[in-house]
Amino acid sequence: MRYRNATAYRFLTPYLLIFAIFWIWPIISSFLISFQATRTVPWRFAPTFNWGRLIGDPAFFNALKNTLLILVIQVPVMISLAVVMAVLLNSPLLKARGLYRFAFFAPVVVGEVAYSAVFRLMFSLDFGIVNKLLNSVGLEKIDWFSNVTPAMALIMIAVTWRWAGYNAIIILAGLQSIPDDVYEAATLDRVSKLKQFFYITLPLLKPVIVFCAVLSIIGTMQLFTEPFLITERGGPGGGTETLGLLLYRQGFRSLNFGYASAIAYTMAGLAIAITLVQLWLTREPK
Amino acid sequence: MAAVTLTNVVKRFGTFEVVHGANIDITDGEFVVFVGPSGCGKSTLLRMVAGLEDISGGEIAIGGKVVNDVEPADRGIAMVFQSYALYPHMTVEQNLSFGLRMNGNPKADTERRVKRAAEILCIDELMQRRPKQLSGGQRQRVAIGRAIVREPQVFLFDEPLSNLDAELRVQMRVEISRLHKELGVTMIYVTHDQTEAMTLADRIVVLKAGNVEQIGAPLDLYDDPANRFVAGFIGSPKMNFIAAKVVDLSNSAATVELVNHGGARLRKPLCGPLPAPGAEVVLGVRPEHFFEAGEGDCDIPVKADVAEHLGSVSYVYADAGPEELIIEREARRQRAGSDHFTVSIRAERSLLFDKTGARIR
Repeated sequence: MRYRNATAYRFLTPYLLIFAIFWIWPIISSFLISFQATRTVPWRFAPTFNWGRLIGDPAFFNALKNTLLILVIQVPVMISLAVVMAVLLNSPLLKARGLYRFAFFAPVVVGEVAYSAVFRLMFSLDFGIVNKLLNSVGLEKIDWFSNVTPAMALIMIAVTWRWAGYNAIIILAGLQSIPDDVYEAATLDRVSKLKQFFYITLPLLKPVIVFCAVLSIIGTMQLFTEPFLITERGGPGGGTETLGLLLYRQGFRSLNFGYASAIAYTMAGLAIAITLVQLWLTREPK
Repeated sequence: MAAVTLTNVVKRFGTFEVVHGANIDITDGEFVVFVGPSGCGKSTLLRMVAGLEDISGGEIAIGGKVVNDVEPADRGIAMVFQSYALYPHMTVEQNLSFGLRMNGNPKADTERRVKRAAEILCIDELMQRRPKQLSGGQRQRVAIGRAIVREPQVFLFDEPLSNLDAELRVQMRVEISRLHKELGVTMIYVTHDQTEAMTLADRIVVLKAGNVEQIGAPLDLYDDPANRFVAGFIGSPKMNFIAAKVVDLSNSAATVELVNHGGARLRKPLCGPLPAPGAEVVLGVRPEHFFEAGEGDCDIPVKADVAEHLGSVSYVYADAGPEELIIEREARRQRAGSDHFTVSIRAERSLLFDKTGARIR
């Protein structure tokens, strides 16, 4: 048995080496770097330098506020939308189901730069289709990129468009695991379709929804692409700057790796904390 | 309580017809079992009675009222599913009361019904548990309890015991039988297990490929099957079928020669139309209707292949020329190992079928 284990570990060694070098070491290293002043040469150990700055940095709190705002609004909206999409996809009345599934999933496959460019065009003040549509129903044009609130809304719309279908597919798998005869029993019990949804479907989907929510929280805490590409590096005036973007700005534009590492650990800590709270709130009764 | 009548009931899935005009009358308070092999349409028929499948043709009436277009919940039926179909996130108590609560039934009445069902099924102590914390038998009891609280006119059971182990199945069979006596309600029960059908039913409906083959009391079906299919399906171990040929017809009797048994002949008195001389027929003999050599009307030598010893009796799987026969013998008479012996068939303990499987009486 020992020999067999040794053989197994020999086969695992290449992967474990790569994992240690490119995953474990950076995780440890960035933690250590977060306690160093990295804008001096050589770097020096200064435990409160970065963490102390974090507590008093308005840019950090602005990014934190933006990230949490997106989290609080966008994640519930997207998950709700994904549930509705999954229920529609699961309907026996739906024709060409495969096509819809592909269409809902496709945004994830589209390149981030390409979709961001399309969103910028669609929401352009002068020739974007969204403003044209708003005009056509008698509403005023919105300058999506120059005002903070529309810019934040745009980020949320874009993220929702990109990930709602992905979550819907996961939720669809959960829906399909609910046996038909549970619904048939409810039908015989004279329970309406709406009540079946709220009293049977939703409670039985809870583990899948929680899973999607956790993934979405982690994703949103790391949000970078949309504010970087669509609202031009967190514009207007940092109005859509997220923690991910602040980290990038500090780490790779200001080359302040110590502060960027502290931000990274804060993001991870927040994601873990929020997820734990959510798991506790949605725990199964014993 | 209510009678259930199926008149020329047809079910099609697209262009594929799975039930071809079923006519079944179930009287008030009767326990009827639909039995047949997989795919014979028995569950479909039950689901049509429940309203979970549309009726493609014909009529279904419950309590004298045609229910073809009546919603499942308004048919006065309750159904117990094969997989129990319990709500996994609810406690036993919530499972039992869910339907009543959702329909605004008065709380006191809901509690009364739930309590009564729990008492009948002895599940009082399980009320706060969830389905995953219950054994298979307990789940099945809860599923039956959920049907009881609806106080239906007709109970429908769709293979309710097939997920249980053999011992529990026997126990639950007795409980369902007791429940029927206690409630006195019409029950329709679907199974592919002929033992369940024989032990539970007032009457059995035997189905094959969407056709009703025969309807009758369990022992009537056993003793007097309408055709070779029913004869083979009812009874365990199944009836033996021995190839034969009509060699003589005289005085309302046919003499048949057993084709694979060295010219052994049997004279079988008949009361119906006689078969044609020379016609190929099949002689049906139940395992327990073989006698010791010389005690019957015709002897056939066999060679024992395998013997199953059940204690009181043994079932011997014996080679008789190209045919394999299952012969019931008293346990002490069957010697271990492979051996040759002779059995005898009596005309009055055998059945005759024509080439198409129809009974020749």
